[in-house]
Amino acid sequence: MARLENLAEPMRSHIADLPCPQFDQTPWVNVPELANQRIALISTAGLHRRGDRPFGGMDGDFRVIDGTSRAEDLVMTHISTNFDRTGFQQDWNVVFPIDRLRQLADENRIGSVADFHYSFMGAADPSKMEPSAENLAGLLKGDNVDAAVLIPV
Amino acid sequence: MGALAHYLEAKGIATTQISLIREHTEKIHPPRALWVPFDLGRPLGVPDDPSFQKKVLISALELLNARSGPVLVDFSEEAPVGADDSDTAQEAWSCPISFSAPEQAETDLEKQVSALRREMTELMPWYDKRRKEQSRTAVANFEPDAAADLLCDYLLDQSPEPGDSEMPLAVAIRLAVQDLKTFYYEAATHQPGTTPPTSREFARWFWTQTAAGHLIRSVSEKCKTEPDKSLQMTGKAFLVPMGW
Repeated sequence: MARLENLAEPMRSHIADLPCPQFDQTPWVNVPELANQRIALISTAGLHRRGDRPFGGMDGDFRVIDGTSRAEDLVMTHISTNFDRTGFQQDWNVVFPIDRLRQLADENRIGSVADFHYSFMGAADPSKMEPSAENLAGLLKGDNVDAAVLIPV
Repeated sequence: MGALAHYLEAKGIATTQISLIREHTEKIHPPRALWVPFDLGRPLGVPDDPSFQKKVLISALELLNARSGPVLVDFSEEAPVGADDSDTAQEAWSCPISFSAPEQAETDLEKQVSALRREMTELMPWYDKRRKEQSRTAVANFEPDAAADLLCDYLLDQSPEPGDSEMPLAVAIRLAVQDLKTFYYEAATHQPGTTPPTSREFARWFWTQTAAGHLIRSVSEKCKTEPDKSLQMTGKAFLVPMGW
């Protein structure tokens, strides 16, 4: 489990010692009621459509995942070998819960599902993701997205 | 993950996130985060359990109703029984295939290559069956034989071909290793009477009982001796998980 104290060494120390970026303040955006929000998924699992460029390094770039993608369209090329992949191999929703999000839209728990979703490769230096994230914010606004669910791996 | 939340929220997109490492999220203090006690690699908790996954997703989404933050909430449930992947979990899963004995009169590396080929021959019918029955495979870039060819050629100094001429060898080796592991998982779990192993059970089997695991270790060791820095890094960090 992802409780630090339960992880075996050397994994526990590796994760405990990972540097975390520093932020003085936490930004905040107010949003409409959940039932009226348009939601996008953003993964850091190194996901992309089959045939798209594999994640090859620490560039901080992202891949676009069309909202019409099916389970067979999506693959994972995250650089790390230190997390479980068998869950994703069994069921993509354990990493990229797009079917669950669609269910919530059908049940009117959320307003709608975005037309596009995105994935980064989480081992990249966060500072290298910043310019990509700023670009991504523009794409999300263009898709009328109110809020994004960020999902690590 | 938390840094992305800062960057996006600062540009006007509200965010909520799942947190797998609470200690990191406490330090980064993103706007809204739901900490979950699940395995790394399983942020929604467990595969093939839509109701549990939905519960996790709703819990993360409901943080968007908060009027001020930062908000860090703990998810109240453990992953369902059977998904337990702690180091103290039962490790009883084993692959029903009993692989053939190695040939004699081969060098150590040749034996490793031969053993891999034999294993793959024995697993391939189950992989093929699965591919016929399911539209989805998580094999991403290298079909099983192509992955094995690349890794074996590299190990035996026989001009490994990444397939894509623009793909650096270090990247190709990493992707081939991931695809080979995926092939083993998809084949081994598609045999009659097999139940999906936990990630820990699969890792134990793959890294301690298969020729593939043995050969990948050799590839890793060879990469570490290369003058090319990206191959060195790949051998050190990206092929064999920590602790195995």
